Amino acid sequence: MLEKMKEMIADQLGVDAATIKPETNFKDDLGADSLDLFELIMSMEEEFGVEIPTEDLEKMATVNDVMEYLKNKGVEA
Amino acid sequence: MKTRICDLLGIEYPIIQGGMAWVATYELATAVSEAGGLGIIGAGGAPASWIREQIKQAKKATDKPFGVNLMLMNPEADQIAQIIAEEKVKVVTTGAGNPGKYVQMWKEAGVKVIPVVASVALAKLMERGGVDAVIAEGMESGGHIGKATTMTLVPQVADAVEIPVIAAGGIGDGRGFAAAMMLGAEAVQMGTRFVTAKECTVHENYKQKIIKAKDIDSEVTGTANGHPIRVLRNQMTKAYLKMEKEGASLEELEKMTLGSLRKAVVEGDVTSGSVMAGQISGLIKKEETCKEIILDVMQGARQAIKNSYEEWK
Repeated sequence: MLEKMKEMIADQLGVDAATIKPETNFKDDLGADSLDLFELIMSMEEEFGVEIPTEDLEKMATVNDVMEYLKNKGVEA
Repeated sequence: MKTRICDLLGIEYPIIQGGMAWVATYELATAVSEAGGLGIIGAGGAPASWIREQIKQAKKATDKPFGVNLMLMNPEADQIAQIIAEEKVKVVTTGAGNPGKYVQMWKEAGVKVIPVVASVALAKLMERGGVDAVIAEGMESGGHIGKATTMTLVPQVADAVEIPVIAAGGIGDGRGFAAAMMLGAEAVQMGTRFVTAKECTVHENYKQKIIKAKDIDSEVTGTANGHPIRVLRNQMTKAYLKMEKEGASLEELEKMTLGSLRKAVVEGDVTSGSVMAGQISGLIKKEETCKEIILDVMQGARQAIKNSYEEWK
């Protein structure tokens, strides 16, 4: 899952995929604003076939947070 | 002229007054509602008790629908959201964030929910969350702004969602209204034009600052720290932009603008206060009643569309 996410994040935010790690923070490390995050979440929903309610976004600060969230939703690692 | 927004909100004209912090008190909101548009009380950074009082006063002043704008960065946002549901306010608009966690509560109370969105993705997520309409607000507007312009944002949001889209940002007369309809909007939200309304309680200096403003007098503070705010330029913006360039902290800068809006609106200090207003300020030439403003916009739109139609026949 990490590899796919790296690719999506790199594509969405225009950053080098090699610099993205599980502990990477979207806002602090990648300079993403809230609109970037909404965009990212939508593409992840599409990719992984899950629905992420907008109120859950507050819990997702790092790449790892998103992976944990997706695992809890039953997305295969 | 009727759109889905008129039916949804129970209003005569598809014109909504922006819920501007400090500016949009019940006096302005009820005057707009009485004139056939939708007036909105702006919570801004005000305490919850003030909002409750404003809602009570508005109910006394008009039987027509009115709304409350909840600025989600307000420290008492949870309480204000609750009050809006308890008081069964007809409409809530939200700004500066994601209102997802309140939508269910408001819908159960029969409140129509209309978030301000600054991107297509947010508009889609909000629609899925069950909101009734969205306000697509471009960066021409005053106060907190996004990055996209009204011209580019409105048609993209209109294509992305089924619910009605309200255009905001840079609309100040009938031509702007007509253009917004062409872009796919079913109503407009205007802020700056209503600041200069006779019923608006802001300090006279604030109104005059807008009336005297030219097209080039608009400035954006806070871009560097991710909280861009559009204001009319003065000594404050000069000092602020200098501080920003020198790398002042978010807290320092935020504090400066929060206090300074009150300074401009209430005390009339438009030199060192923060005069939040949209890029359309240059178009606004005089004080008028809300009724005059709304009728002027509607008649102007009708004329603009009619003239254009003649040319295309």
